[in-house]
Parts: sequence; C-alpha cells; structure tokens
Amino acid sequence: MVGLLRLMLKEEFRVHTGYSGRLAFLAFPIIITGFSLAIAVTSERLFTYTPFSDAILLLHASVFLYGLSVGAFGFLGRQYLERTNGTRNYLIAMPGILPMRLRKTFLGMYVRDAIFYVGLLLAPATLGLIVSIPFTHFRITSIGVLFGAALLSFLLGMSLSFFVSILYMRNQILFVISVAGVTSLFAAAGTTRTLPLSWILPGLAAHEQLPPFPANLNGAAQSILSGLGILVALVAGAVLLVPEQYEPRAVAAREKLPRLVGRLKRLRGYAPLLSKEFVDLQRSGTYAKMFFSFVTPLLFLSFTAWFVRYGLQVPVGFNTVFYAGMVGFFGVILYNWLNNVDATDYLATLPVSVPQVIRAKLISFLLLTTWVGVGFVGIIAWLNSDTRLLWLAIPIVLVTSVYIVVVTAYLTGLRTNSFLFDPGVLARFSVMSMLPDFGLTILSFTIDRDLRFAASAIALVLAILAATTYMLLKGIDAKWRGTEFGE
Amino acid sequence: MAAIQASGLAKRYGKVDALKGIQLTVEPGEFFGLFGPNGAGKTTMLRILTGQLRPTAGTARVLDIDVVREPLRVKSVIGIVPEVESPPSYLTAYEYLYFVGQVRKVGEVGARITRWFDFFDLDDARSSLCKDLSKGTRQKLMLAAAFLHEPSLVFLDEPFINLDPIYQRKVRDFLQEYIGDGGTVFMASHLLDIAEKLCDRVAVIQDGAIVATGSVDELRGPEEDLEAAFLRIVGA
Repeated sequence: MVGLLRLMLKEEFRVHTGYSGRLAFLAFPIIITGFSLAIAVTSERLFTYTPFSDAILLLHASVFLYGLSVGAFGFLGRQYLERTNGTRNYLIAMPGILPMRLRKTFLGMYVRDAIFYVGLLLAPATLGLIVSIPFTHFRITSIGVLFGAALLSFLLGMSLSFFVSILYMRNQILFVISVAGVTSLFAAAGTTRTLPLSWILPGLAAHEQLPPFPANLNGAAQSILSGLGILVALVAGAVLLVPEQYEPRAVAAREKLPRLVGRLKRLRGYAPLLSKEFVDLQRSGTYAKMFFSFVTPLLFLSFTAWFVRYGLQVPVGFNTVFYAGMVGFFGVILYNWLNNVDATDYLATLPVSVPQVIRAKLISFLLLTTWVGVGFVGIIAWLNSDTRLLWLAIPIVLVTSVYIVVVTAYLTGLRTNSFLFDPGVLARFSVMSMLPDFGLTILSFTIDRDLRFAASAIALVLAILAATTYMLLKGIDAKWRGTEFGE
Repeated sequence: MAAIQASGLAKRYGKVDALKGIQLTVEPGEFFGLFGPNGAGKTTMLRILTGQLRPTAGTARVLDIDVVREPLRVKSVIGIVPEVESPPSYLTAYEYLYFVGQVRKVGEVGARITRWFDFFDLDDARSSLCKDLSKGTRQKLMLAAAFLHEPSLVFLDEPFINLDPIYQRKVRDFLQEYIGDGGTVFMASHLLDIAEKLCDRVAVIQDGAIVATGSVDELRGPEEDLEAAFLRIVGA
C-alpha cells in the first residue's frame, strides 16, 4: 500500500506540474502561506466585526465543503475507468490489467488526496499563522488546535463525499436518499437551527472545547473520538462498497447528434462542435454534476448572507443586486465542468482549432446556464420580497456571468482545472474576478441610500466588463491559436 | 509538386532532440513507410507533418501547404489515423463519423458512413458509445474517419495494430486500391512484413534522424529480408 501511495502521489504531482510547471506549482502553497499571514496580521480588526466563535464556525463550514469537493472519488474513479483519456492513463485503471484490487486503489486515492490537499492548502495556511506569531502573538497551541480540528472537518467532508460517490457507483437510489439525508441535516443546522452545527461537525465541536476557548478536555476528546469514528466508518464503508470488478455498463444510445446538428445549423461551423458538447454533457451525467456544483455554492452563499444578517446581527442589506453580482461570478465552476467531460486528443486529427473549441464551449455555456443564474436571482428576489431591483439585477447576472466565463476561458483555455493551480494564472484570475465583484458588492450596499448614483455606477462597471469581455473574446484566438489538443 | 516535402525538420522536448534536421520528399501516388525503433521519432514526425505539432526548426509542406502556417488547411485536405485510437467517449460509432463528416463539410455523409459501416461490418456497433467499443472497432472507426472525405493523402500511425488478420488483409487491399487510384500514403509502423508487401519506398529513423531511405529492395542486402535489413541498419 505504501509503495502504491508513493506512486500515486508522484503521479498527482506530475499531473499538476505538467500543466503549470514545477516552479509555478510549488509557488502555490507559498502564496497560500502569504495569504494566511496577511489575514492573521489583520485579524484584530476582523474580530471586532465578527466574533471569534463565528469566524471559527465559518472556517469549519468552509473546510468541510472543501473536503466535500475533493473526495468524490466514486465519480472521478468511474470517469477514469470508463472514458477515453487520450494518450494518458492513470494508476486507478491498473487493476484492470494487474493483480491489484480496485478497493486498494480507491483507498489509495483517498489517502493520496488527503495528503496532497492538506499539503497544498491546510498546511501552508497553518504555516502562515505560525509565521504571524511575532505580530499577532497567537499561541502555538491554539494554532495546533486549529489545524487539528480543521483537519478533522476536512477529512470528514472528504470521507462523506467518498462514501456518497461510491454509493452512486453501486446504487443511484441509495445515493439520492443519502444526499437528501445529509442535506436535511445541514439544512436543519443552517437555516432552522434545530441542530447546532457542532453536532454534525465534530471538528468544530472539539475546537469549541479547546484553547483559546475555555478548555473542556473530556468533551473535546469525546468529539474527536466520535469524529474519527464517523470518518473511519465512512471510509471503511466506501472501500467495502467499491466493486471488486468494475464493468462499465454498455448501453445502446439513440442517435441524437444528427438531429441536434440540424437544429443548430444557423450556427454554421459551430453546429457540430456544439451538438457534440450537448450530447457529451447529457450522456456523461455532467448536467447533474454541473447543477449540483452550481447550486451548492449558491445555497452556501444564501446561508452565509442569512447568517451574517440574522446570526451575527451585522446590519448589512443583502439585496437582489448583491446576489446577482455573486451568482454571475460562480459561472467559472460551470465552465470548468465543460472542460472535464472527455479527452479532446482526437480533435487534433480534424480541421478544428483550440480557439474554435473554446468558443463552442462558451456558446454552450451561454445557451445552457445563464437561465440558471437568472432563475436563482429571481427566486431569491421573490423569497426576500425584493423584486423591485430585478430590472438592475438581471443585467448584472448576465454581464458578470459572461464576463467571468470569458476571463476563465481566456486565461485557462481548455484546461481550467489545471491552469487555476498555476499561481500566475490564479493571480490574474483573482484580480480580474475580485475587483469587479467587490465593486458590485459595495455598490449593491449603496442602493438604498442613493439609487440613481448606484445604478449609474453599476451601469459603468457593467459597460467596462462588457468591453473587457469583447476584447478578451477577440484575444482568445491569438492566445490559444498555437496550442495543441491534449497538450 | 511533391505530396510531402520536409526540410531541416527538428523537434526538441526539453533537453531531448526528438527530430534532428529531417530532409524528406514523398511523391504523389507513393506508398511511403517510416520505420524505426520505439522512441525513434516516428509519431513526432507524423504529428508535425499533419499540423498537430509545431516543429522547433525547419519547414514542411504537405500538398503544397505550409504545415506550420496553415495547420487547419492541411488537416482539411488530408486524412489522419493517430497512434492512439481514441474516438470521443460519449458519441455512438455512427455519431462519431457523422460528426467528422460535419466538421469536414462532407456531402452525402449518410451514404459515406453506410459505405464504411459495410466495409468494416460495423452495423452491430452503430448505436454503441465509443467508450464501450473494443480497441479493434475503435481502430476501424478511426480508419473510416480518416477516409470519409476521400482525401488524396493519408497519414497512418500503426493502422494495423489492433486489427485482426481478416481486417488487416481487407485494409491492405483497400490501401493498394487507393494507391492505384492515385492516392498517397505515409505510414509509420513496426510491421515490416506489411511494409514489404505495401511500400514503394521506406525510410528508417533512429534517434530522430533518418539513417536509411530507398525502396525495400534497395535497403535489403543480398539474401536478406526486410527484418534483417532493419536490424542491421539500426545496429540491433
């Protein structure tokens, strides 16, 4: 197992450095350390607005969600085993030809990613806190407690995601039931508060009973043990559920492509590429993944806004315009999914270029997803009885979602997931996304004071974003023209 | 006008010289075979000549089109069978050929697909997703895709490797017919017996450089078959 794990870690490292280069990839944890140091140094001001206990709660909720996003090996492993990966292959597929157990490779993936992502984010973030000690006078024991408790929340998220995604491989009804169960638990804690969040996040419960909070060592030990117990049960359950022999279901499919190409013929050269996108998304089950990965942060955003307003009693007016700005910027998740459906190596043999395929993906994003953002903003406006601002919110969600997706496409081409690990790309992406997002957020808070000023300023921001979008769209061709498929 | 003309073609991957100043001419109507040990540079050369990869130095023209400046134009007039048979996972066999036909703007695409389905007996695979097909069936699809638009020049990278002897024979006969009708073939392969039967001219590539070129008879020494000649040339 140790040998396999070592190889898997090397494989993961090489996959990532293959995209952005060794130096750029290794700079990523250094940036995280710097970021964490900056937050720590300014934490005194932060804690005057947000009580420490609430900040810790938000930290655990975020780390848990991060773990959830990392641990879906059932989906990922299935994808590696089933689909074409061009000229590449991965250790996860080796049980098919070597006397290895599929369970072992799945467990290997879990341990690999636990080590890899703790090393990439959690550990550097903790290091940033340690480095800040001369300025902040944080106690090393408190930092140690924070790391340990956050690690428990992260691993719990990973384990839950691992278990549920393996259930999906075995039985989709059980998968739906388990997702519904987990969602209701969190909904009960997050919205109605019938359950304290610490009951379902033992890492948070342990943290709240250790320094710098008043210490209750017995209570903390109980929380840690129960957390570890749940974690082991979920991982063991997932590993036991991994099928010993995985046989992808061979299903006959009805021919859809010719009909779709016919429907989209107005788009001329893009009709076949776009039709293929739609067929791919449906048959690979990516529609569902896209929907959940878009809706989850939207729910998290709603919960955070609700929590800040009513939980923390911070008098911030989160109106429909605020949500519209935020929702637009989640479009990056959907573009990333569009690039994760299948290998594109075979396109190298056809007279199509990388920029053409990028544009086809952008068109499919526009056709498929803008209505989700608009729909969400409409629903949230209705729920908050704030439909008066929809006339301003809808242009915002449309312009920002197209802008952010074009920025992502320009910066990352067909390899969004990988290039966002390149610190240079990440830095440019952060500036290009955060600046307008902050601007729109601040302007959304000024609406109630001076609607005319806010609307004019928002119109100006949208005009700048639209102009930038146009320029980047034009630039995609020059930037990606010389790139090869599968590069 | 030569079908393929390469001059000083070089490719460098990091510190490795995959191709070193290749000079090559292939005439129209020729069946040209490129042979060499693993890692000699065959696939790199084929990918450069088909506009899939940019050379580090040198020039190449295919059907009088500059492959570096106009890779898409090159791809639109040639057919390519890549080294790895990887049609898109979630299209059916029929849909893949239909997709290729649409991208290449082929007329009467349905009739052409039917012809290739008949040729390779692919009717059973028609509604199967490509990810569920056997390697051999995927290879047949890639071959069909390369010839769907009836190009005058095809580049084949190990085209026979996953085919059973029945289809190897069938494809071999088809390629001979294709050459007879004026087509040109550039084939990279390890299969020397097939080369012996098909190629008008061959080149042997080793460590990124062409070390021998000529007809099969010119490369063979007295009392030597092509395999023995190949082993002698590469010093194995």
